[in-house]
Amino acid sequence: MNICILNGSPKAGKSTSELLIEYLSAYFGGNETVTFNVCKTHLSEEQFSRIQNSDALVFVFPLYIDGINSRLLRFLIELEKRGFADKSTLVYCIINNGFYEGRQNAAAADIMKNWCKAVGLTYGQTLGAGAGEMLPFLKNIPLGHGPNRNLGIAFRELSRNILSLKCGEDMFVSPNWPRFLWKIASSLKFWYPRAKENGIKRKRLKDKVS
Amino acid sequence: MDILIHDLSEEQFQSLFGTVDKNVRIISDTGAIRCCTGCFGCWIKTPGRCVLKDGYGDMGEVLSKSEKVTVISRCFYGSYSPFVKNVFDRSIPYLLPFFKIKNNETHHKRRYQNNINLAVHFYGENITEEEAETAGKLVKANCTNFYVTNYEISFSKSLKELKEKVSAV
Repeated sequence: MNICILNGSPKAGKSTSELLIEYLSAYFGGNETVTFNVCKTHLSEEQFSRIQNSDALVFVFPLYIDGINSRLLRFLIELEKRGFADKSTLVYCIINNGFYEGRQNAAAADIMKNWCKAVGLTYGQTLGAGAGEMLPFLKNIPLGHGPNRNLGIAFRELSRNILSLKCGEDMFVSPNWPRFLWKIASSLKFWYPRAKENGIKRKRLKDKVS
Repeated sequence: MDILIHDLSEEQFQSLFGTVDKNVRIISDTGAIRCCTGCFGCWIKTPGRCVLKDGYGDMGEVLSKSEKVTVISRCFYGSYSPFVKNVFDRSIPYLLPFFKIKNNETHHKRRYQNNINLAVHFYGENITEEEAETAGKLVKANCTNFYVTNYEISFSKSLKELKEKVSAV
């Protein structure tokens, strides 16, 4: 089967979406799979044709302000304009957000459902993951284990549904890790060190611009 | 200060609203806006200010000085239009990178303490029931994240209908 993965992350460097695509691709051995980054590159006619003739389309993107980032949104509008002659394609999504709770991806999943209706494709399923910024720190822990336990279980179901072209209930997962620890770690292990790399002291992070 | 964020063309805007009160800051599509690249520079490099220099980098500061924000946007699949969404995407410096628990969910802490009244006016000929429902969900989530306590939302099938609903200008 033809699977087309669309990376909808506009991030300049390595993104969590890229990592999630690596996780997903591991399930797709023996299938024809291509990945396009639709936020960083202008696709060729051939690439658009590949998208329009896929058995499964998988959109992988980060949550931006509770929804879909503007660049990916433009791409969705472009795809709607081009249309899909073959309506048998199923659409799946993997959305990650910077909060703890995966359920905060729900509105973005609904936008994708509405897009599917607008273009006449079948909406398959969404996996909405919380703690997106934490996931690259956990990449050496196998999916299904420790903090990656919930994500691994969800990936197994999503990949099974994609490979059998079945629909499923949306799955919103948070890390198998206490929220208060995640919250403390986000400041101590992420924001403070990254500010320090830029020569910004902790208290300056709260600066007000006037 | 009042703010009006819209995606109408200059001609459409002029024909609908004519001259606008000079105390209203208009944020419209000049064609120069760049997309947020998720670099977090507005949090960890130049706190409170976006690092992109395209004329839309001061959204955090602009929101901090506003009492009323009016949004006019074509509705796409229950979302804002790409331009309006782009302005929202560039508004995260209004918040701090740190988290707090609110309604049993994690949200960013606030950088500023001003209270914003938000009015969102969606337009489009064929907005479906599902899209309107999604748009409501999206605006509500935005309000939670941006500490907006009062908001209203409307849907118009035409620009004429939109004009009747927009009271801000």
